[in-house]
Amino acid sequence: MSAAPSRQAAAPLLEVRGLSVSYAGAVQALDGVDVAVPDGAIVAVLGNNGAGKSTLLRAISGMLPAQRGAIDAGEISLAGLRLNGLDPAGIVRAGVVQVPEGRRIFTDLTVEENLRAGGLAAADRAARAKARARVYDLFPILRERRTQPAGLMSGGEQQMLAIGRALMASPRLLLLDEPSLGLAPRIVEQIGEVVQEINRQGTSVLLVEQNAAMALRVSELAFVLEVGRVSVSGRSEELERSEEIRDRYLGVGAAREARAASAASAPAVGDGRSAAAEELVVDGLTVRFGGISALTDVSFRVAAGTTHALIGPNGAGKSTCLNVLSGVYAATEGRVLYGGQEITGLRPHRVAALGVSRTFQNISLSAGETVEENLLLARHRLTRAGFVSAGLRLPGARRERARQLDRVREIAALVGLEDRLRQLVRTLPYGDRKRVELARALCAEPGLLLLDEPVAGMTQEESAAMARAIEVVRQELGISILVVEHDMGFVMSIADRVTVLDFGRLIADGPPEEVQRDPEVLRAYLGGGER
Amino acid sequence: MNQFLTLLLNGLSLGCIYALIAIGFVVVFKATRVLNFAHGSILLLGAYVVGRTHESLGFWLAALCGIAAAAIAAALVELVIMRRVRGADLGTLAILTLGVDILMLTELSRRIGTDVLTTGAPWGSDVVEVAGLRIPESRVIAAGVAVVLVAGFAAAFKFSDWGIAMRSAAEDGETASLMGIRLSRVALTAWALAGALAAIAGLFLASFPSPGIDAQVGLVALAAIPAWVLGGFDSIPGAIVGGLIIGVVASMSAGYQNDLLFLGRGLGDVAPYAVMLLVLLVRPSGLFGSREVTRV
Repeated sequence: MSAAPSRQAAAPLLEVRGLSVSYAGAVQALDGVDVAVPDGAIVAVLGNNGAGKSTLLRAISGMLPAQRGAIDAGEISLAGLRLNGLDPAGIVRAGVVQVPEGRRIFTDLTVEENLRAGGLAAADRAARAKARARVYDLFPILRERRTQPAGLMSGGEQQMLAIGRALMASPRLLLLDEPSLGLAPRIVEQIGEVVQEINRQGTSVLLVEQNAAMALRVSELAFVLEVGRVSVSGRSEELERSEEIRDRYLGVGAAREARAASAASAPAVGDGRSAAAEELVVDGLTVRFGGISALTDVSFRVAAGTTHALIGPNGAGKSTCLNVLSGVYAATEGRVLYGGQEITGLRPHRVAALGVSRTFQNISLSAGETVEENLLLARHRLTRAGFVSAGLRLPGARRERARQLDRVREIAALVGLEDRLRQLVRTLPYGDRKRVELARALCAEPGLLLLDEPVAGMTQEESAAMARAIEVVRQELGISILVVEHDMGFVMSIADRVTVLDFGRLIADGPPEEVQRDPEVLRAYLGGGER
Repeated sequence: MNQFLTLLLNGLSLGCIYALIAIGFVVVFKATRVLNFAHGSILLLGAYVVGRTHESLGFWLAALCGIAAAAIAAALVELVIMRRVRGADLGTLAILTLGVDILMLTELSRRIGTDVLTTGAPWGSDVVEVAGLRIPESRVIAAGVAVVLVAGFAAAFKFSDWGIAMRSAAEDGETASLMGIRLSRVALTAWALAGALAAIAGLFLASFPSPGIDAQVGLVALAAIPAWVLGGFDSIPGAIVGGLIIGVVASMSAGYQNDLLFLGRGLGDVAPYAVMLLVLLVRPSGLFGSREVTRV
């Protein structure tokens, strides 16, 4: 997979050589990355969450210091001009402008004012006028709605505004960070076409995407980042056909040892202290935010005591679904039943009281407390001693605390954290923190455990440790687990059943082997055969 | 009735001055996320420079000097101190500005000593009569100047490139700098502007009916803090409305103090804070403040 890109012979417009980046002097995010964008080309950078894509863009656009990151080695240059060392404003004036992830338009400003904000870095009035004409030409909708507050536009229009805003500075190189994130397929297609049109007008593009299908279709060259290194690079059409890429994004043929091992041992009954696992039924669930449908008529069941995975590309509605299940969002239509009781419309703490417990995509632990204290906190619901008796350390309260501590230690042992109990959370590595989150959710003695992207941004070993922990938990406690995840390989190795969402709709539901071969799923993840 | 209308007019004109000060708080907070408690002593500095120079330079030139001095002082606070700790915790930054405030206030008090400085304003202690209501001329002029300044400021904020840069930076600094907007420049102009507005407010605060320029003036400026808070930390319309409300409340509670003796003396100083607390109980983000939104 190292077909030498033919255009690399000519001096590239953007050249990244041997780039190593770390955060807070400790976390290594990029390690000797080489990426080149030939003048006039569209180049894609692919990779999973945490692979270092955003870090690469931050390094190019000069935003690392704001995140306490620093370039340890390597060089970034634009047509011979060294970019590292310049501040973001200087880099924009040198001709590199980034469209940030999640669009980040200025919602309080009108469409026109957003464009003006983008044009503040333009060379002069004439350049601004020319750029504005070009933007209105590319996106007639922006001209139509120029006096409206940008916050009122739809997701697709906001993405177009974000791209238009960046074009106002007439960049030589446009950096696009996940432009397809959370957009409908038709809009993604439009964005792809617009990117190609912008490129034809003479602007080079560096496109960072998780949506491999779209990125490979529009780009000429592609680089795949994995744990901070370029693992594969080459011409996009070749990569699109390669088995290796299909594997990476679909988890076909992922290691199945974990499952084989778990199938051998009979499921344990649990120790009676957990709320008994019940069946979860999601029935015709629809969620709308304003005019945007995040979920449309989604129905599935999670049988008691099984591990069920909810997967789908970015913006498919997975997190929205989880947020409804835990009571954070309200359902627009449809209902969710847990053990026969309706939980749609209950407040989050009422849902938790029914024995539904969750973890978060972004770790939300108390960093300044020890692991033990974080876990004890989660047992609040199961603790009877009031604040007076606990404060006075009455014998009853002391006995209860001892009991709670015993249980916390058991649970910590289950997920492999028994040696970490006395450590402050902030001193733990990322993978361990994610497992503390898991343990904390378990400390509430749930019957149903909701896991939101438990292995996002993890290294291979950390991810394997998490898979082991989840497997042990399900066996020892006999609870149901619903896991939302991006990483196909991980999901296929732990799930009994898989539900696939794409743009808010359910496109497949079944055992992992079946779902893996489903043509709809292949298309959603890779867009295979669309070319 | 007459007393009521007089107090109302007085309150509104005082409110205009508070609004100028509160806008300074808001602008600095929007641009740099700093709760600037040094604002009062910057205001005092402006008034002090006017008091020391008006005899030799004449009032108008002295006023210009005072405004420039306050603007430069505020810009220096940003340039020399705040810029180095950008991104520090909100509380740390606020305490830092308190430190700057104490230093400046102490030095200015020392320099003023027992002198009674006046602003030398041409309108002196004249009183105008409008429909039978007597209000100090300085307050009428203050209200007029404040209205003009606020309108000009609002227009610049809405239409100029500076306004666009300022609003983008306030909404999402990271994205603004990705668009090539220099946040450091936005911050510097915000501080300088706040300083200039404070000096103008200080001029009027130290004019009749106030006795003159003393350290007390810097403290009076703190009365604009409830105006700022109750308007919502980051809203300019909020600062204006908040300023007017606090001005009227302060004037009323001082004017009717004798009828409200059961609440104790010095009500005029306490009432603005009481109103602020009441508003925050009902609207925790102030009247116009943007609510904090978090995503799960």
